[in-house]
Amino acid sequence: MKIINTLRHTLALLAILGTTGLTAIASAHEADCPYCKIKIVQNTKDQDNEVVLKAGNKRIEYRCLFCVFKDQKRYKGDLIVYAPSEKVGAPVVFKRTAGNWSGPEGAVILNTFTKHAQCSELSRAFSSKAAFDAYVKANKVVAPKALTLSEFIAVVNKPK
Amino acid sequence: MKLVSLFVLGLAAAIASAQGMPGHEMGSGAKSQSLPPMPANMPPWLAAPGADHLFYKAAPYNWSINRIPAFARDMYATGVGHAMAYEVLVTGKAPELETKVFGTIDWVLKNPPRIPVDEAAISPTFVRKYGYLEKVFDWAHTLHFQTIDVFAHPGWTDAQKEAEIERLWAFYSAQPYAITGLPMNMDVLDSFSYSKKFRTQYPKVNGLFWGYHWLQTVNYDMLYRVPVKDQLPQYGLIGERYHTEELYKTDRDFMPMTAELSPRFAKRFPQIANAFDNLHMLHDNVNDVLSSPELTEAQKQEQVKIAIYNVIATTHAGETAGEGIPDTVHDHRHPTSMPGMGWMKGSDDDEMYMSGMGWMNMGECSHCSIALPEGNVWGATVFAEGWTMTVRCLMCARDMAGETPGRAIIRAATEDPNQLLVLISDEEGNWTTNIASVVFLEKVGDHPECTDWSRAFTNLAALEKYVEENPEYKGTKPLSLTEWAALTNDTPDTYRKIDKPNPYRPDAPVETPEGGDR
Repeated sequence: MKIINTLRHTLALLAILGTTGLTAIASAHEADCPYCKIKIVQNTKDQDNEVVLKAGNKRIEYRCLFCVFKDQKRYKGDLIVYAPSEKVGAPVVFKRTAGNWSGPEGAVILNTFTKHAQCSELSRAFSSKAAFDAYVKANKVVAPKALTLSEFIAVVNKPK
Repeated sequence: MKLVSLFVLGLAAAIASAQGMPGHEMGSGAKSQSLPPMPANMPPWLAAPGADHLFYKAAPYNWSINRIPAFARDMYATGVGHAMAYEVLVTGKAPELETKVFGTIDWVLKNPPRIPVDEAAISPTFVRKYGYLEKVFDWAHTLHFQTIDVFAHPGWTDAQKEAEIERLWAFYSAQPYAITGLPMNMDVLDSFSYSKKFRTQYPKVNGLFWGYHWLQTVNYDMLYRVPVKDQLPQYGLIGERYHTEELYKTDRDFMPMTAELSPRFAKRFPQIANAFDNLHMLHDNVNDVLSSPELTEAQKQEQVKIAIYNVIATTHAGETAGEGIPDTVHDHRHPTSMPGMGWMKGSDDDEMYMSGMGWMNMGECSHCSIALPEGNVWGATVFAEGWTMTVRCLMCARDMAGETPGRAIIRAATEDPNQLLVLISDEEGNWTTNIASVVFLEKVGDHPECTDWSRAFTNLAALEKYVEENPEYKGTKPLSLTEWAALTNDTPDTYRKIDKPNPYRPDAPVETPEGGDR
């Protein structure tokens, strides 16, 4: 199972990186997030930060998972979201197929930011609850709550 | 040594003299504290009360703009919007601008007229008071419309059209109301004591004005060297963008510039691009003067005349593009690679700050940062999110469009100089093409050679001929549009980000939506 998971993560990463090698993704213009308009935090050697949305032939970078899900309605077709996880180069992959979202079993989402200036650190995906716990402890996250994908979608869609 | 000293003294005297002349306020961000005085050599026509109405150059292409009906109607509506705002400004109703008048103009923009409307019918008081200004505006607007008509005319070749555009420029320039085709220092022209009043007090209506200027400048690359049949489909995207986004932007740092939105046209016809930008800057100056309550009626009349004087061709007779006295109204510097744009705030040779895109280098590919080829040639341009960027090759164009949210247009060269490829994408990067038999070559190599290994051809035979002449591409699979569109590459390792603050508002906070679950 571990081998399959590793293989799946590697294939996902290859899908994002395209054909020219295993370098970290960066927008050609290091653009602002299409949703919150704040500069996208670039990946580092220790932590991935860029959330990549694949919509047809488009590959759009967002600042956080919340921004992607807020902006998803503009796309009509199926979507794939490569969300940075606790491990560099191993994104948590969410898919929207025929309008329905799905994600890997056991994956949880942190979403506790109050202002978008914090969204990159506080709206993230993790492959497991254990990884979530380790992240919130290391980053001293206040009032952390591990959300399932459906709980996260409900939060995103909650009227303000 | 004596000769050198004399030269230095002479140069200093010339600069001092020029700076002492009316309208020679220093730029570089310093806003003048006093009004510019009236020049001694004002052209006599500025005092003439007559209408002196001029009309179109007689030609078979006139009104060809109507071949793109939605575009024509939107252009006609811009005149109505301008006239309504000016009438309000000169009749003491300015407090209604952001509310009632904005609503009325917005209604007109959403329900545009089918024919051009005589602005004097909408703004009789303004025309009576500022008839001399209306002559300048009218004449430049005629140039706008006739150049568009030429490009939209189906009966001529590109060469014939370009020759006629040159003739139109000469026809326009022969009149005393003509605006100079020299690049002007935009920072200087936006640094008078009254500058920025209008956009500060009436941001929504100013947004409309700058939205009109966006439309009036973005259209040229939609038309230039584009087959007439391929012009209309582009307006589906551009018109939607205009109506949903560009008209309602209140956060632009500066008015849209022709070379930002139609770089190919601006490079080919720099004088016309400059004249349009100078016209639009004159609009801004007039807006600012008319919305300055501290000015008397006589001062407003005088300042409007000075604003006209600053940009008309006769004021700059004998002056040369690329030269002039820095940071004065006689500063005609331009980016080295773009003669069709004046000096902007914070400009440094080819580097300039572009609202919505950040710092750009006009001489480099916007995707891979490799220098663009010399001369008026191009690989492609990408239109997306309201901007137009020049890139070196098809791959750069596709990947740049693919990384940008929203619909996009790529206009790209093929092996046939008479067949421009026009690709239009939907929100998800699915492209449609104006050349059904288009095929692509893409054999990724080093970016400095990307114009060689990433190309579009009008048909397979043309691609095969190219491969035969360039055997290094033998065995490379010709790609259909669908196959080519599905490819994507990582950020070019040659890409160089220009990391400098926004010169217009270096300390401005970023406004963002709220979010999260707390």
